[in-house]
Amino acid sequence: MLSAERLVGGYGGADILKGVSIRLDPGEIVVIVGPNGAGKSTVMKAVFGLVTLREGTVTFDGAEISGLPTEQRVRRGLAYVPQERNVFVSLSVHENLEMGGFVRKTIPQAVFDRIYALFPVLAEKRKQPAGELSGGQRQMLAVGRALMVEPKVLLLDEPTAGLSPRAMDEIFACIKAINAQGVGILMVEQNARQALGLAHRGYVLATGENRYTDTGAALLANREVAESFLGGGH
Amino acid sequence: MEIGGLLLYLMALVTMGGIYAVMALGLNLNWGMTGLFNVGIAGFFAVGAYTSALLTTPPMLARSGADVGGLGLPIPLGWIVAPLLAAAVAWVVGRICLRLRSDYLAIATIGIAEILRLVALNEQKLTGGPFGIKSIPRPFETMDRPWGEIALMALVALLVFATYLFMERARNSPWGRVMRAIRDNETAAGAMGKDVEAFRLQAFVIGSAFMGLGGALTAHYLKVLTPEASEPLYATFLVWVMLIVGGSGNNKGAVLGALLIWLLWTASELVTGALPTEWGVRIAYVKMFLVGLLLVVVLQVFPQGLLPERPPKLAGEKAAGA
Amino acid sequence: MIEFINNYVIPGLVLGSIYALGAIGVSMIYSILRFAHFAHGDLMTLGAYIAFAVVVAFGWPPVAAMPLALVGTVGASLAIDRYAYRPFRKSRPIVVVIASFGVALMIRAAIMLIWGVQPEPYVEGINPPLESFEPFRIQEKHIVIVVVTVVLVTALHLLLTRTKIGKAMRAMSDDADLARVTGIGTERVIAWTWVVGAVLAAAAGILTGIDTLLKPYMGWDLLLPIFAAAILGGLGRPYGAILGGLVLGVIQELSSYPLLSDEPFISPGYKIGIAFAILVVMLIWRPQGLLRGRVL
Repeated sequence: MLSAERLVGGYGGADILKGVSIRLDPGEIVVIVGPNGAGKSTVMKAVFGLVTLREGTVTFDGAEISGLPTEQRVRRGLAYVPQERNVFVSLSVHENLEMGGFVRKTIPQAVFDRIYALFPVLAEKRKQPAGELSGGQRQMLAVGRALMVEPKVLLLDEPTAGLSPRAMDEIFACIKAINAQGVGILMVEQNARQALGLAHRGYVLATGENRYTDTGAALLANREVAESFLGGGH
Repeated sequence: MEIGGLLLYLMALVTMGGIYAVMALGLNLNWGMTGLFNVGIAGFFAVGAYTSALLTTPPMLARSGADVGGLGLPIPLGWIVAPLLAAAVAWVVGRICLRLRSDYLAIATIGIAEILRLVALNEQKLTGGPFGIKSIPRPFETMDRPWGEIALMALVALLVFATYLFMERARNSPWGRVMRAIRDNETAAGAMGKDVEAFRLQAFVIGSAFMGLGGALTAHYLKVLTPEASEPLYATFLVWVMLIVGGSGNNKGAVLGALLIWLLWTASELVTGALPTEWGVRIAYVKMFLVGLLLVVVLQVFPQGLLPERPPKLAGEKAAGA
Repeated sequence: MIEFINNYVIPGLVLGSIYALGAIGVSMIYSILRFAHFAHGDLMTLGAYIAFAVVVAFGWPPVAAMPLALVGTVGASLAIDRYAYRPFRKSRPIVVVIASFGVALMIRAAIMLIWGVQPEPYVEGINPPLESFEPFRIQEKHIVIVVVTVVLVTALHLLLTRTKIGKAMRAMSDDADLARVTGIGTERVIAWTWVVGAVLAAAAGILTGIDTLLKPYMGWDLLLPIFAAAILGGLGRPYGAILGGLVLGVIQELSSYPLLSDEPFISPGYKIGIAFAILVVMLIWRPQGLLRGRVL
């Protein structure tokens, strides 16, 4: 469904990615973990088109999308939730969702209903400015916003960063529920253990390269991986 | 045009072009070397012009209320005090404004320049208001033509050369390197322990002093000074165009840009002479249009200007003859 | 008291309305395109003169000429963005500011070439008589100015709160990177920003022409006060810009009130200097504007 092959690139001068490959099959949850500076977020941004690639290709739904601008990728069913500053603070909750559906000609009410059903707290606060939401609620709004295009694949950049343990559990539960509806999830996470527990497959990156690839359970059971790379997180 | 007229025209070209070169070099210190977006050149120009005019114009017998006289002091004194006063004003302005972000700094410097010009326009007793100051003494004016013009041109050329040397020295010095570092990456420069604010203020003050000098030179050259002289079109934007076209960051570029743009600007006078009067007025608007067009086009086509900046050679390279 | 209102407050509100229209445009352009648009005053002049051309050609009153003038100014503005500003979308912000200086000069020069420099009124001859709303002295043209302002501001409010593109403008003003990530078409939003900016600028220019006279420098002379109003209200806040415009207009008119003696407090020659002074003070002391909090 989504594959990135031998990506080399970065933010200008130095290459952060030195030949990373990632694959996501339909309906999977794939998690990318690794130490800071490994290039986890960069891979995701490269897949979405926010980072210039010197080499490598990104393929989505059978077509190569390496040169497409982000607006086009969204139209094809790829949605991205950044780690920080992921809601429009001066717009209301409902307006944030509306903006999520910008590329659609019209947004059926059913789409809104589904998001509000998934995140009931957002329904309560639908007229409030997003700036008044708590951290966990903002995260839900950010994910909800991305779901407005009914994407085939959802890219999540550290969805649990800065959240309380309870909010974290809620988010992971939501991610499972979204995936159960058929949406592929590519997720970068610091809370590696919990994320891998959720994942079908995982990638461990270090210094811009692939290190380990396996099912989530296998990675968790792997002692080397556990010792070197799963230190951070609860 | 006969030879005599042509020669006088050329000398006027070099003289006024040279005065603009001095100002362009000052702007290069602000913008090209340090990255300060000073759009208030007209204000410092006015300060320098009026200061020098008031100091050196002979005292007037108050015939009508409109004439303003000065102190009748020697011209060199005017040319020394004018940039100093412009520098002082720049110091005050810089202390309060320099920490602003570039487009805010642009607005603030224009605002201050307009306030200064408003003062020049309104304080009739001091500046002659809209009528200005007349009979400003010009160096060498007692000499016969064309020797007076030649002498003045030579003097201006000398000043341009001196300014150029000063700016080149500054650019190649450790001080200049700090300026470039601040321009390119302020946070890094600050992290190196350099007092960024102090350096920027120095660049701002010194550059503005040269704009004040340009104002003084203009006032003496034209012998008449009205608020129109510091109209932003001539005193600010023309200088900016000169620097952008010539090459910002490059002192040779500043001088080249000044002479070239001034040549183009005044060459239209030749054309105007041949046309009926009403067209002559319109030529002025065409010139204004072209200045604007130049600003837009040059930035797209020659973003570096005609003479791009070349970083000064390091000591080791020079010795090896690289 | 009545005299006070007649001589200071009413002219202040009229001037303030014009400032508000200009300031909203500048404010929105700053928050979405991220630069101070120095050609905005000259856009106002352009609108005023296009209306003048229509008035001269068809003999309509200036208000009737507005729609055509607005369309013309919008067209010019989109073309300007395409050729003078769009090439610099990815450059340092300063470069597009310099380009806008160039555009300002070009617009002004073109107007002077086509129409000359003589100040012109929209309608020659006798001015419309002063209307009276006893005891307030309100001229017909003042009513026109305020009504047009209210209509345009209401239309803008509806655009920003009820339409998709209006909300997208607010979103992009809030966070341009997130807007891109969300899939919002940024060039479309930019185009609409120019539409709004040009409509409001042209209207402000025409209203100024109705209030006084048409001069080629009319817009440039208003540029700094408009920046002052926009900054007073907080850049990026259209409603703040309205408040800033009205406040500035009233303060400027009040400045000639004989506060301490028989003479005006600030002499008329310096009246415009009030706006410059407020501008500089705001930039230095509180560039985020007078209002607190993130109110749109």
